[in-house]
Amino acid sequence: MSFFASLREKAPFLDRISETFTPVLTRDEKFKLEYKLPKGENILDDINADLSFLHPSTRSRNGKSPVSPKAQQMAVVFSGKVYLTPHFILFKDIFDQSSCVLILNISTIKRVERSPSASYSCALLVTLYSGTQILFQFIGLKYRSEQFCELLKAKLRENIPNAKTLPKFLDTCYSEFLIRKNILGLKDTQPPRAGLGQQFKYPGNPVLAREKAKLRLWFEYFRENGRHLSLMKNPTFHKLIRVGVPNRLRGEIWELCSGSIYLRYANPGEYEKLLIDNKGKPSQAVDEIEKDLKRSLPEYSAYQTENGIQRLRNVLTAYSWKNPDVGYCQAMNIVVAGLLIFMSEEQAFWCLNNLCDIYIPGYYSKTMYGTLLDQKVFEAFVDEKLPVLWEYIVKHDIQLSIISLPWFLSLFFTSMPLEYAVRIMDIFFMNGPKSLFQVALAVLKINSDDILQADDDGMFIAIIKNYFQTLDQSAHPDSPDMKYRQITKFQELLVTAFKEFNVITEQMIYQERSRHEKTIFQNIETFVKRTQLRHMPRTFHLTDDNLSNIYDIYYNSIESHKISMGTGSSNMNFDIFVQFLSKICDWCKPCERDSDPAFRKQKSGFLRRLFDDWDTASIGELTLNDVVSGLDKLVTPDLLESINYFFSLYDSDNDGELHREEVLQLSEGLLLLTEPWKSGRYVDLLTKKSIEDDIAENIAKEKIIEETNNGDSADISMEQIELPTGVTVDEEKYRAEQAERYLKAASNFLQRSFEYAQSLDIAEEVDLIDLSDSDDGETNQEDKLQKKKKKYESIKANAALDPTHPKVIDLATFRMIILADETYELFFAKTFRLSIHVDESVQSDNNKNNALRGMFDGILADGRRVAEQVRRRVDSVATRNSMSSVDSQTGGSLQATVNTDKYDDMDDFTSDQQLEHEELLNNPWVDVDDAVDGKEPVRQERAIQALPPQLADHDLIEFEA
Amino acid sequence: MNSAVTSIKLVLLGEAAVGKSSIVLRFVSNDFSENKEPTIGAAFLTQRVNINDNTVKFEIWDTAGQERFASLAPMYYRNAQAALIVYDVTKPQSFIKARHWIKELHEQANKDMIIALVGNKVDVLENNEDERKVAREEGEKLAEEEGLLFFETSAKTGLNVTETFVAIGEKIPLKTAGDQETDSNGVAISDEQRIDLANSGNAAGQTAGCSC
Ligand SMILES: Nc1nc2c(ncn2[C@@H]2O[C@H](COP(=O)(O)OP(=O)(O)OP(=O)(O)O)[C@@H](O)[C@H]2O)c(=O)[nH]1
Ligand SMILES: [Mg+2]
Repeated sequence: MSFFASLREKAPFLDRISETFTPVLTRDEKFKLEYKLPKGENILDDINADLSFLHPSTRSRNGKSPVSPKAQQMAVVFSGKVYLTPHFILFKDIFDQSSCVLILNISTIKRVERSPSASYSCALLVTLYSGTQILFQFIGLKYRSEQFCELLKAKLRENIPNAKTLPKFLDTCYSEFLIRKNILGLKDTQPPRAGLGQQFKYPGNPVLAREKAKLRLWFEYFRENGRHLSLMKNPTFHKLIRVGVPNRLRGEIWELCSGSIYLRYANPGEYEKLLIDNKGKPSQAVDEIEKDLKRSLPEYSAYQTENGIQRLRNVLTAYSWKNPDVGYCQAMNIVVAGLLIFMSEEQAFWCLNNLCDIYIPGYYSKTMYGTLLDQKVFEAFVDEKLPVLWEYIVKHDIQLSIISLPWFLSLFFTSMPLEYAVRIMDIFFMNGPKSLFQVALAVLKINSDDILQADDDGMFIAIIKNYFQTLDQSAHPDSPDMKYRQITKFQELLVTAFKEFNVITEQMIYQERSRHEKTIFQNIETFVKRTQLRHMPRTFHLTDDNLSNIYDIYYNSIESHKISMGTGSSNMNFDIFVQFLSKICDWCKPCERDSDPAFRKQKSGFLRRLFDDWDTASIGELTLNDVVSGLDKLVTPDLLESINYFFSLYDSDNDGELHREEVLQLSEGLLLLTEPWKSGRYVDLLTKKSIEDDIAENIAKEKIIEETNNGDSADISMEQIELPTGVTVDEEKYRAEQAERYLKAASNFLQRSFEYAQSLDIAEEVDLIDLSDSDDGETNQEDKLQKKKKKYESIKANAALDPTHPKVIDLATFRMIILADETYELFFAKTFRLSIHVDESVQSDNNKNNALRGMFDGILADGRRVAEQVRRRVDSVATRNSMSSVDSQTGGSLQATVNTDKYDDMDDFTSDQQLEHEELLNNPWVDVDDAVDGKEPVRQERAIQALPPQLADHDLIEFEA
Repeated sequence: MNSAVTSIKLVLLGEAAVGKSSIVLRFVSNDFSENKEPTIGAAFLTQRVNINDNTVKFEIWDTAGQERFASLAPMYYRNAQAALIVYDVTKPQSFIKARHWIKELHEQANKDMIIALVGNKVDVLENNEDERKVAREEGEKLAEEEGLLFFETSAKTGLNVTETFVAIGEKIPLKTAGDQETDSNGVAISDEQRIDLANSGNAAGQTAGCSC
């Protein structure tokens, strides 16, 4: 066979790859996976030992005779290793790890006694409730054996409460029923309640399937090798499964192979509890399940009855509550309908658990990544093992997945007649997911001659459909050999799948999966993102690109959520919200002041307000849609909207007025938001402007001097302007100036707030202090700042401390106060909005140009803008020069320039700023508030008043609440 | 006799259990089944009809309706020339889902795809008009806004099912007898040509018929 050859060729290479790609499992994980043990069953200890299984059958029927030394000698001895986990003793032989695998739940142990042994350091004789005796003879150092025994003893003791549930559990095991009826002679025992097949007949013909003979074989196996929770698996076990499990026993064998029997034993009552606790609760999964109940194996008569439908409903809904990440996926209804023919509800429920967790992870997930991945893996196998067919499929653009996807997703239940599908399931539960690939490849291979004639999907599908419907027919109807003729297509399929394609190993599947994983995940993520972006709420200010960035940053922040796997909650709690905002907002970024508890309190206070405002459903969590709607409000380019929104955050009772306490909180919010500029980490447009002006001024001066010297006319083209190479800017100066400006804005704000607050008794105003430069000869910037801080504090304290005058600020007043201050006006018009970086994608290096350092680099690099400035300066100087004698314009005139040119500068630093002003004037509120506005008190400079002496000493830490 | 057969690749989209597979079953086999299993992944069926003396072969891709299967849908609507977006007139949610599908197709699929919006299960309304949750006018309005064909159907009684497919067939330029050419946005492709088309990676119909 060509594929054998090619595999052998590739084998060494594959092995090497698989080492790097196979998921790295710990020893415990591997162990649990291999023996399908529940999660907590980690290895506590292990030791080499010889094991002999003393069959109850070797004893006389009346069960009197104890184990005779003779019987002991006759028993087969296996050498191997014993493992102890919290609830299991597991033994596997050293010979081939499958001659004898004993999985013993310690609940089944009735007695453990030391057995005298000459040749072993220590020996334990374990007696089970079933009467079976197992002799463990430890090999190795005595103290190690003792250690193991001690541990076992401890576990046995701990397990006593669990063991009490054993008798009830055994009543649910068909194998136990067989033994009771046939060995113990309890003729009137009832078979345990099992699957629907008990009542509605099992699929297939019991005579043809030789059910009775098979059942007898299993009975003998159980008698000799144990059963359910204490079972020894040897090669006969596997052989019996391959022959075909008898229908009545099928449920239990599936449970045993999948390990779900251990889950069911370990979690008594959980299934019922899930159903009771969630009774009547609505969910999307419940709705989806309801739609599909009547559409699950409708050809099986039980699913036309309320009984059958109800069982299906119970198992599917219980699972959707147990695992909300998966919920319900179409195809689960069909698989569970299949399980329920052979299993009780509880059995099917636990079996479904292990199916989804261990066998086909990700198949039914919200994104179905497992399904998509395994389709890719399957295609890779077809390419590798059936290259001619694959080439044909590609050439004819046949969608292989249209035929193969249902095989995997519904485990052949929708493709094959039930009686055959369950046979495939027998092998699948025993050998794992590789069986699906093996069968799928075999189906294609067997039909490849016909498929090579098909030239479209329709014919391809018809061929396969026909094949599955004729599985009971002869595979070789024209053969002269009678024996050959008797082989059915189904038998041929089993042989091809499990002999020929035995070469498909778990390793290869893992390796192929990891090869395609990345692409699949990427595709899914793109798809999910596209869909989610389409379902976003309508936004007014955020662009599609913004939304895309927000989406990325949002999911980047929620670590518990895996987009591609569709698991975990995709909502944001407060902590994640803070992390998220700190990725996009300058004022939320971590900074030195975070170490100050008062500052931290301010910060979280503001963020909490924002969070609560965005939390539309009031569930203490934000969805992506909440975040998008919230950010959309935050980045409004409309100055008034922006001011209104900020006001509304503090107007908790929504009455349009802020009370004293709220005003103070609002002012703290403002302080927090403006902190990055106050501390000089970023520069706002006013500072930027002033820096540009300064540089331009310097250059212009040089130009003019040059011109005067040269006597040239002042005709300067831009090309002529070169930035002076060694321009140095006094960063500290701008930083201090900006800090001062913000501080002043803050104190003005408070001052005005209380000044213009509607009060019953205006006469008794608190002392208000003007914080404008008093110019009392102080030269030290630091001193000045300190003093101002103090002044600010005193104002605040004063206002806050005066409880006698309840005052309120309404929205109109608030707007007026904000608009009265250049810095704050700009803040709401631009600074704040520009500090929210929805336009930058996740990894990009934020704010390079907003930081002071970067700012200088930016200006110097951006020569054109400076050049324009220079030209304007030179022009204006030229005009002035022509009009009057040369004014001695000297350095350090920045302050003056800013002051005199203030309104000009405001005009030209951005044109849309002006638009906003116009908008502002046209806004209806201006008219409404005419009375207040008419007085134009805001811009008035107030007379300097002395600090009240008692407050001057008030030495509060800066802005401490 | 016409030797040329026009193939139309058509995809059905819509929420789970709105009756997509039932519509196809009605169209292809003139049959109906009360308890149809959900479509797992997708199903493929073909049906030939005569439209204005031409034989049209519909290659129908019937997709699974559950939300999570949506990520598989592009696999099936790629290269499709026509789509039926189906909703259930008794389920308002299914109409919302239909809107999403329209958006998805407008964004992702072939630009000159012929799309029909189909409100199914109108037979339910015969006994009880109160069951109607999506007004006929709503459907018509959406179809008009988005430039779609619109039908209200019943897979159970067969009402308007064939009509829907025929209307789509009529909208798609057909290959006339013996004519190997197609017009600029024509989609007349014989089975053999279809392969070249897919391999060239072009949107359906753009270059059909030119390569051989
Ligand atoms: N009364 C009535 N029932 C219908 C009609 N069409 C479909 N049904 C029923 O609705 C249910 C779902 O029909 P399907 O055709 O399987 O729906 P689907 O859209 O293919 O569903 P998915 O494959 O899950 O996406 C079945 O029980 C049908 O019998 C109709 O026109 N009238
Ligand atoms: Mg369907």
